[in-house]
Amino acid sequence: MNPRCPEITGPRDGGGAARRGRPILSWRRTLRMSWANVRNRLGRSFLTFLGIAVVSAFFMSSFCYQRMVDAIAVGADVHARAALERAGVFAHDPESAQRQRDRRVWLMALSVAVCATGIANTILMSVTERVREIGALKCLGALDGFIVRLFLIENLFLGALGSAVGALFGYILAILQVGFTLEFGLISAGSCLRCLAAGGPIAVGAGTALTVAAAIYPTYVAAKMKPVDAMRSEV
Amino acid sequence: MARREMVRTQEVVKTYRMGAETIFALNGVSLTVYAGEYVSIMGPSGSGKSTLFNMIGGLDRPTAGEVYIDEVDVAQLDPFELAWLRCRKIGYIFQTFNIIPVMTALENVTLPMAFAGLGEDEARDKGARLLDTVGLGQRLHHRPAELSGGQQQRVAIARALANDPAIILADEPTGNLDLKTGSEIIELLCRMKEEQGVTVITATHDHKMLAASDRVVWITDGRISRIQSREELDIQIGAIETRKT
Repeated sequence: MNPRCPEITGPRDGGGAARRGRPILSWRRTLRMSWANVRNRLGRSFLTFLGIAVVSAFFMSSFCYQRMVDAIAVGADVHARAALERAGVFAHDPESAQRQRDRRVWLMALSVAVCATGIANTILMSVTERVREIGALKCLGALDGFIVRLFLIENLFLGALGSAVGALFGYILAILQVGFTLEFGLISAGSCLRCLAAGGPIAVGAGTALTVAAAIYPTYVAAKMKPVDAMRSEV
Repeated sequence: MARREMVRTQEVVKTYRMGAETIFALNGVSLTVYAGEYVSIMGPSGSGKSTLFNMIGGLDRPTAGEVYIDEVDVAQLDPFELAWLRCRKIGYIFQTFNIIPVMTALENVTLPMAFAGLGEDEARDKGARLLDTVGLGQRLHHRPAELSGGQQQRVAIARALANDPAIILADEPTGNLDLKTGSEIIELLCRMKEEQGVTVITATHDHKMLAASDRVVWITDGRISRIQSREELDIQIGAIETRKT
């Protein structure tokens, strides 16, 4: 692009015949348009959704499982301790407890990395599918900033939805896991709610952030696309 | 009478690099299109027709030479100003329609109005009116998938007219349509020219377009090989077919 004229999205001073308007869409319409995109491209959206839901479920289940086991161990009457020992899930010495934690963190990081690449790839594909649409938008007067906004909001929706559904699923999984490895009777309603309150926001927040982060590169590709590409009849 | 210049290109050169070779897609094209004209750019594929078309539309920058759209040098515009130009001054119509698939006909037409900052109610009224003009008054809330090719192209025409542009640029607007629908679209473009006074520029190799054009610009090997006016065309078309005079 012209280095003399950096990308400007706000109104500016100065003359020039072409400076009277501001081709920017209101937030409300942008939101509606993003939502329509998510809803109408269910196939492609679903892949992103699934990706983030899996990683969110994985986080939530291991997080809540750990929390619940810890809660049971703290209460530790004879019956509970026996159940813990039987299942072999409670480490006696701090060293092996630390090792277990490290392993979980490592697994988590790995799955996040795999998931982020997958999501980025899916979004990149949906960008190439929509070359013409993006080109048409630009021909209608959309600035790069608008394209960025559109794609990021779309993936914000997907990320929030996917991680929320995933978190819920993981939560149920954690309860079942504790129930089957130990005993359902040992799970208290209080600890259940506490780990939901602690883990839920982390899962949804981090999941959404992860999706948006994975969307940054594809969005950049989309925004930098030239409107000429829409004019090309063959894709 | 001095006619108002809408588009003027001056010795426009566009080169592409292909390996070590430099290819001249356009090699010194000077063309003036006046307000209210219907100009067709004709030429075989690879002739530079599309490149010239993109230049006129402010979609591409020339390697050398100047392109003026309504007296504004396109090369001097920054991205923001270019977007403004595309939004207000030019209406684009594509061979592949390029309607936003997730939006209804009305939403598609009101989108450029929203970019231009028009209020929502106002945009809705105007959009409905435009769709009615192109003959889709009954299909405001249909999505592109529920519309035929010809209908989609009508939506595209209504969308191109959304911000009362000075120029309509149509790239092979009949390329993906059957003969009859294509003729209808050409007729519609002509009507818009008459009624709204817009300048219509099309790139095409559809010979039906000839009859509708005020002038035809033939491009060969990156240069204008000849420009035919209405009168010359009438004679020629009369000779080829006795369909229309």
